[in-house]
Amino acid sequence: MTLYRLHHATTYDYAEPVVTGTHFMHLLPRGRPGQVVREAHLVISPSPDTRRDEIDHFGNHTTSISLAGTHKQFSVNLSATVDASLPAPPAAWDTPRWEAIAAWGLRDAEVAEFCLPSKLAMPASEIADYAAVSFLPGRSILDAVQELNRRIFTEMNYKPGVTNTFTTAQEILRIRAGVCQDYAHLMLACLRALGLPGRYISGYLRTVPPPGQAKRRGADQSHAWVSAWAGAEIGWVDFDPTNNLLVHDEHVTLAWGRDFEDVSPLRGIILGGGRHSLHVGVDLEPVLT
Amino acid sequence: MQSLSPCNETLDGQGRTRPIWAPVLNAMAAIGKGESRRRAAALNRHLGLAAPLGVPAGQLYDPLPAPLTAAEFAVLEEGVRQRAALLSHVLEDLYGPQTLLSSGDLPPALVLGDPHFLRPLHTRSRLASPRLGLYAADIIRVPDGSFRVMRDHTGVIPGLGHALTLRRLATGTLPELFRGGGLRSLRPGREMLLDHLQRRAEGGLVAVLSGRAGPIGDPGHDAFDDALLARALGVLLIEPGDLATRHGALHMKTLSGLLHVALLVRGVSGIDLDPLEQGGRPGAGIPGAFGAIRAGVLAMLNAPGSALVEARALRPYIQAKAEALTGMAAQLEMAGLDTVALASRAPFLGSEENTVWAPFCFRLFAWMDGEDWQVLPGGIALPLPWPSVPAGLGLKDVWVLEGEEPRIISGAPPAEPPEKVKFLAAAHLPSRLADNLFWLGRSVERLEAATRLLMVAIPRLESGTSLPRDLAERALISRCLGQSGLLPSEAAGSALSGRLLRQTLARRRPIAGLLKEVARLVDASSERLSPSMLATVRFALQQTQEALPDEEASLPTLLSFAATFAGIAAENMSRDGGWLFLEMGRRLERGETLAATLGILLDGPPERMEPGMALAIEWADSVLSYELRHAGILAPGPVLAMLLADPANPRALAFQCNALRACLDRLGAEDDAETVRNLLQDVLDLASSGGTLRSRLSAIAARLRQISDRVQRRFFTLLPEAHTLEDNEVLEAAQ
Repeated sequence: MTLYRLHHATTYDYAEPVVTGTHFMHLLPRGRPGQVVREAHLVISPSPDTRRDEIDHFGNHTTSISLAGTHKQFSVNLSATVDASLPAPPAAWDTPRWEAIAAWGLRDAEVAEFCLPSKLAMPASEIADYAAVSFLPGRSILDAVQELNRRIFTEMNYKPGVTNTFTTAQEILRIRAGVCQDYAHLMLACLRALGLPGRYISGYLRTVPPPGQAKRRGADQSHAWVSAWAGAEIGWVDFDPTNNLLVHDEHVTLAWGRDFEDVSPLRGIILGGGRHSLHVGVDLEPVLT
Repeated sequence: MQSLSPCNETLDGQGRTRPIWAPVLNAMAAIGKGESRRRAAALNRHLGLAAPLGVPAGQLYDPLPAPLTAAEFAVLEEGVRQRAALLSHVLEDLYGPQTLLSSGDLPPALVLGDPHFLRPLHTRSRLASPRLGLYAADIIRVPDGSFRVMRDHTGVIPGLGHALTLRRLATGTLPELFRGGGLRSLRPGREMLLDHLQRRAEGGLVAVLSGRAGPIGDPGHDAFDDALLARALGVLLIEPGDLATRHGALHMKTLSGLLHVALLVRGVSGIDLDPLEQGGRPGAGIPGAFGAIRAGVLAMLNAPGSALVEARALRPYIQAKAEALTGMAAQLEMAGLDTVALASRAPFLGSEENTVWAPFCFRLFAWMDGEDWQVLPGGIALPLPWPSVPAGLGLKDVWVLEGEEPRIISGAPPAEPPEKVKFLAAAHLPSRLADNLFWLGRSVERLEAATRLLMVAIPRLESGTSLPRDLAERALISRCLGQSGLLPSEAAGSALSGRLLRQTLARRRPIAGLLKEVARLVDASSERLSPSMLATVRFALQQTQEALPDEEASLPTLLSFAATFAGIAAENMSRDGGWLFLEMGRRLERGETLAATLGILLDGPPERMEPGMALAIEWADSVLSYELRHAGILAPGPVLAMLLADPANPRALAFQCNALRACLDRLGAEDDAETVRNLLQDVLDLASSGGTLRSRLSAIAARLRQISDRVQRRFFTLLPEAHTLEDNEVLEAAQ
């Protein structure tokens, strides 16, 4: 296991006072096989007058707060200590044929919804054609997913600013550019076009890569990747198409859902405020033990 | 063998008239065709009068009932109760442990792929209130005489408002039909339901949440039904925009501040209800509603997402679990796809000469009273679309008879006792309505002032003399027209002629613009205007609009509209809540216009004031009073006394101040009332001192504007507009 210390600070500065604010967050990391959250705190300023910490449909931690006092700055600071080391999957060639997974996915209550289209990761015929290149008949599931992961990494241009959180997989395939979220949505739409279950994972990537390795894309910020289902026995296996990685111990999972909309880190409705500026800082450092 | 042709609801197996239909058919025969049609028209006319949102077009209700015997109802009641319990059980499971999915009893993809499966409402523990609190079933009678469920309603429950209203109206329109005793009343049911809702709200507000935009009379999709339900239950009718989230709970914005809303009968879809958790425009839903429901500080009938079990594809799977989940075999079978072909036919009084035989379904309503499901002994019968049946047939009242067999008709008519309508305190008036009424008052007054000014102006501008007095009058008039906004200020020079004024009016159409604003505000305030008031105002508006193409010739019609509106507001509106705002709007507008206009007309040294004084007296409609009191001799003292200080002259500034202060006192706005009292004192001082009127009158106009701003801030703009903090910014800023 690798033990990480995680800090994620979000600060809004408003030009005009905000009278009231209601915010809904996915900002406390969840546990999963291969990840243990030792401790996690959200420090919110100004101090909310009500705060509810709940578990959502997907098992993620959510926090709802309301701020009743007038304020000109709003900040949320997450500090957590997390053990992360996802179990290594079996050799790719030694996994079930992808057709078997597609045939089973819709029937399993735990994975069925991840096979179905969602707003941002909606299959379409061009997407199915794009995916089919990697999913030749009879190929084993992880072998095929790994190749798809590599193709998306090579064929997409990492380009901040050309997409936003409403950009759909279909548009991404057309422009072949975007950021981690777009890479993930395209890969999910490819899996779903074939009836395969795929999850959108929101989380973090270690800030400084392991010694001797290249700097990763998406460090220092909120990151996103994909989890593919390889059958009941193997379960979920995570791939990071933005960095062409099989996820093992450089990532910390925050939350998962069908696409970004299910796990948006911080959503809010405020009264007043005028223009605002936003500062985000993420730091994920291994703790030397 | 069962016959495949649909049965006739009025006949038994041997082709004889069924005893429950005999009194209905006999009564109709006795009344005669012509009279029946007139009664049908009267029933729908009465609906128009009872309607909070104005008169719906066409025939919404059919006067012929759809009777059920006590035995038939007993079967249906048992079946509906079981069905409601079954669907409730399934909903609680699908939004909770999901054992029906893990066991494979319900296909996961059908449930999880349904847009009505709202993930934010999937919770580990049960909600404080059952997710299903109200249920309705559409039921047909098939050729073998038994009943089948055609459709379930578990989300928004359509038609309950119609059911409670139709019975009340029908008893009055067709007393002959109700002469037979033994008809079960809806009243105990309605009271039990209301009582249950109020107990569950534990002192918080109960309201019907409306917002459905659909064609009126389309049962299930009309805001009209919500309004009727709110009226029938005596609870508030509110829209998402009336609500705000504070401290994690929902509150209604009212005149007395934010009031906690504990229970909502939901008339809007759960999809996109909570923009905080589901995204979407903040104004379109209620941010924080889901969190409030999960925390148990808000109950909704029904909980968002409950429409999930209406899905046709799920029906066979749910039906298969009936016995396992309710402990007994399914009492009611489901109808297949050939529903309409098999549904029994009943007579409707359509728009044609003869009775129309149409397939129909019974819609029965049930609610959970905390212990058990209660079924309303009545409901509505809906005509089903079928090729040979004309569109536009009305809804029927469903009768449930008391005895096993109908008794021979005798005894007093079981007319329903008068409605027990709860008094809705002014404090509970939603801010949105108060705001609309305030502006309605202002805009009608603005229209009237403009009309009066034009009536004074046009004849004078027409006269071509160049006598000094006429020139002075024309100059004053053109300044007043500029000040009122009827003329652009650059056109309001002294060279203004009648022709130029007419051309400008024809081009800019300022009166049409004012009238359009009045019409908009009448619509927006309609739920607080009585039906007859609304009908009268709309009729007068329509006449005025027809007269408008010629703005000059339409002036008398406009004045008559303003008078109609003022008269009806004075004589038809109760003096609380809504009226106070209408009145404040009118008084503030009139006060401001008076101060500004008199500031122009009475500007100048006393020796040159005469033309202006004459115009002022005429414009303020005070010629006669002045003649009577002062024998027509114009002098600044008496003119100022009459137009500024006279508390008995409804067009004097003092009168506006008094009326305004009275409203503010009634609303408990003591500090604002005090401000108005001080203002009145200054007006009185001004009238007695004379002197530099212009600047002091414009100061008074400015103070009235400030009071208007304060009234708006105090009562309407409790909250600035909401907007969403886009979550993509978190990512963008990071990238």
